[in-house]
Amino acid sequence: MTKPIQELVDQLPTNNLTVSALRTLDFIAPGEWQNVVGFVNTIKTVTGETDEDLIQQIGERAIYLYNDRSQGYQTAMWLYQTVDSTDRAIGTAVLANKVGEKIPLLGFLNSITPKAEKAQTIDLCLKLVVELVAFCQINGIPGDSIGDFVASLGEYSGESFIRMAALVCFDGLIPLGSGFADRALSWISQTSPQELEQNPTFQNIKDTIPGQDSGSKLNFIGESFNSVTGWMGNLVASHDLSPQKIANNLQGFIDFSGDKLDYLAAFLDVSTNYYEHTGTQTLARRLIERASAEI
Amino acid sequence: MIVPRTRRILATLFLCLLLLTTACTPKTPGRFDQAQQQSSQQKSGQAIAKDATQGSQFNKFFPNPQDGYQRVYTQEKKGFSEAKLKKAGKDLAVLSISDTQGVKGTSNPAGKFKTSTKSIAGYPAVSQGTTGTAVLVADRYQVKVQSRDPSFTQSDREAWIQKFNLDGLSRLK
Repeated sequence: MTKPIQELVDQLPTNNLTVSALRTLDFIAPGEWQNVVGFVNTIKTVTGETDEDLIQQIGERAIYLYNDRSQGYQTAMWLYQTVDSTDRAIGTAVLANKVGEKIPLLGFLNSITPKAEKAQTIDLCLKLVVELVAFCQINGIPGDSIGDFVASLGEYSGESFIRMAALVCFDGLIPLGSGFADRALSWISQTSPQELEQNPTFQNIKDTIPGQDSGSKLNFIGESFNSVTGWMGNLVASHDLSPQKIANNLQGFIDFSGDKLDYLAAFLDVSTNYYEHTGTQTLARRLIERASAEI
Repeated sequence: MIVPRTRRILATLFLCLLLLTTACTPKTPGRFDQAQQQSSQQKSGQAIAKDATQGSQFNKFFPNPQDGYQRVYTQEKKGFSEAKLKKAGKDLAVLSISDTQGVKGTSNPAGKFKTSTKSIAGYPAVSQGTTGTAVLVADRYQVKVQSRDPSFTQSDREAWIQKFNLDGLSRLK
């Protein structure tokens, strides 16, 4: 059975490698992301209400909405969890007691393998598609026009924003370099549906991606990626983001030499779950907003 | 160091006891356990009625913002539609319309209007907590404005409720 939403939100860590990694991105939008954890705490933060009876009503309504599978919230949560979990080979237990001390990457070189560029590119694209599909599962397609829909996408703030910034930095810039978007697009154009099918993450989530067969799903992935390259490019340009800059910030808690960025990317991949962490926060926020409006 | 036998036995006993009691201690019931249990008895349809009005039908009744205000639609689900009200990039309030007849499981949201002594634009109105104001239209549709910034007061909420096309909504079939 899937875990109750209140448990998922209550169990979000206040501090671990994922949280530390996300905090290094704070300079992109200072204060934009607060690591809000705890179900009741999230209700208070989102609504600004402190009345216990009202909080109870909102919480109960949110739980009902989440458990009604026709409402799409569980699919969204599953997507956020799945796209993150396929690579988590290094047990979190090994790393859990490392918080607060600098982790020597050298100690993990034997247990991590940098991904081939192609696999890394597919990962990046799949994470992006998951974002789009999860967005629609959680929010529907808001408004009456394409313009309304694009405006609602543009409302990415808080944990949703930091998730997209992390996608650009940890799954784009560090493993693939500054030209990551172009490289991704060119790889997509050279990838065959058969190759895509060999990817374990795609195998897992393919039923949720629009398209009748792997070929049309691949097209959808390409179109989705293409449509956000502008946004990604702006983010990189406006903050002068580079692999080196992101890596320097990470050196605050991971010890590595600058020529090991591929290993750093692989390490982040297996030791963090920023999609699941911030995805849980996004979903809780939206669910609570809806519950608070409906009661 | 040699640990005296009795101490060792005692320590072992104590450990066993500890393991036993911690394993058997019932989890203290959480405040949401009942809702969780009741709402997970069926897989689908327990929160929203199948024949609830689609959220897309509500969008046209939302206020058209002017004077530097921005309205951004944020959610559109069965029985529910929501938009943010913003000014100069800041979130001021959340505007929403929901179908109270679509709400299942939890108590009927229309119930709270029965004892309402207040009205806005001729519709029964209530305040909720410190940030919410709502009216019930055609005994069915709840129009709610919730502040997201302290500068957006109760009178702002009442003013913005009146900017919805409430009469149009009352004729929605």
